Amino acid sequence: MKLEDLFKKLEDTAQKLENGEQSLEDSFSLYHEGMSMIKACRDKIDTVEKKMQILDEEGGSHEF
Amino acid sequence: MVNAYTVGQINKYIRDMFRQDYMLRHLYVKGEVSNCKYHTSGHIYFSLKDETGTISCVMFAGKRGGLAFSMKDGQQVTVLGTIDVYGRDGKYELYAEQILQEGSGLLYEKFLKTKADLAERGMFAPEYKKPIPPYCFRIGVVTAPTGAAVHDIQSISARRNPYVQLILCPVLVQGEGASKSIADGIRRAALQNVDVIIVGRGGGSIEDLWAFNEETVAQAIFESPVPVISAVGHETDTTIADYAADLRAPTPSAAAELAVFDYREFQDALSSYRQRYQNDMKHAVLAGREKTGRYERRLLSLSPESQLRMKQQYLDKLEDDFRRNMEDKVSSERRSAAERSDLLHRMILERIRTAEYRYGMITEKYSGISPLRRLKQGFVYTELDSGRALNSVRQVKKRDGLLIHVTDGTVSAEVTAVKEGRDDCKEE
Repeated sequence: MKLEDLFKKLEDTAQKLENGEQSLEDSFSLYHEGMSMIKACRDKIDTVEKKMQILDEEGGSHEF
Repeated sequence: MVNAYTVGQINKYIRDMFRQDYMLRHLYVKGEVSNCKYHTSGHIYFSLKDETGTISCVMFAGKRGGLAFSMKDGQQVTVLGTIDVYGRDGKYELYAEQILQEGSGLLYEKFLKTKADLAERGMFAPEYKKPIPPYCFRIGVVTAPTGAAVHDIQSISARRNPYVQLILCPVLVQGEGASKSIADGIRRAALQNVDVIIVGRGGGSIEDLWAFNEETVAQAIFESPVPVISAVGHETDTTIADYAADLRAPTPSAAAELAVFDYREFQDALSSYRQRYQNDMKHAVLAGREKTGRYERRLLSLSPESQLRMKQQYLDKLEDDFRRNMEDKVSSERRSAAERSDLLHRMILERIRTAEYRYGMITEKYSGISPLRRLKQGFVYTELDSGRALNSVRQVKKRDGLLIHVTDGTVSAEVTAVKEGRDDCKEE
């Protein structure tokens, strides 16, 4: 899933949780779902600092 | 006499000839400005000349919008206008609609033309604009490998989010072959699985930026399957590439701001979601617990044990009531008994008082005949030693002791003489 979709789902889930109409079980599974989405969001960002890559005309690439 | 034409007829004939010529209705003439006069009426009179000759020109006040600079003698200009005949002087003139300075003016004209063409072909239409993804991880950068643009993009990207991958497609951004190089660069970048492409360069003159006004570049941008952000020159420079791009950034730095999402904001957003979830969950648990508690209390109140307790309580209450009733009764009886005994007491006292009163009355009545009263009058009661009352001289002899009672005490006396017979005694 794309990050923006994840964020949309996070918002939806948060709103569902906030309106308080869910049963406790549902709340808990929403919570669980939300937390795992947050983890997925974090995982989406590969936290390795990136150097700029240069793509030459032949299609080869090297660091800037 | 030959059939001669009037001057007016000839001038009109020639004017009609001019007017029927399609080319003369709309043409560009270039040359050097001379005899330029800004008339007070607002019209501008001047001539265009080259090595071979001159042509008179007029720009009427109503057309002054077509002149964006201050025209002076000696300038090389291109005039767009119409050639027509001025009958009064019997000469033709160029009626100017637009005057462009040589160089920039020509380029500007070309720019307008390309813009109009491409707009007509729908290349700038909003419905073809692709949205820029809010979270781009791989960003293609099509620009010169050296210079301000690449440096700005790199530093802003690193500041906002060092985890975003930039892929630079180095291209020629000015000079011969620049537009083709840029177009190729865009196509190459699009093949690199990037989320967005930034295409641009730093500021420069209109000639420096020209490659971005070429149709080839616009075409490549338009055809790119990946959204393109244009970033050419400064805020004030707008190129054809800007119109064709999915998003126009005023500068390369701004393009980087638009393309690279802020890592800290992202982390903050995640943290706030986590916080929200945790709070909501806490509330849900609390609410659940409370609800459970309510049911528990309700259920407990329905248990046999509680039923029993309630019945016991009821019984206790009954017992209490009963006891209280009983006590009330007893105490009220007791009260009425006490009241009765009081009454009795009062009645007896009353009786006693009546009796005492009557006794008093009787005492009063009898006090008149009491021996005590006699005593008060001087009579005494004399007692013998034996304790018997003395009522005869025969009871005593000389030297016998007597005890004489008077009202306030007794007097002990001794008989000195005894004599029979009464003398001064008086009977009542």
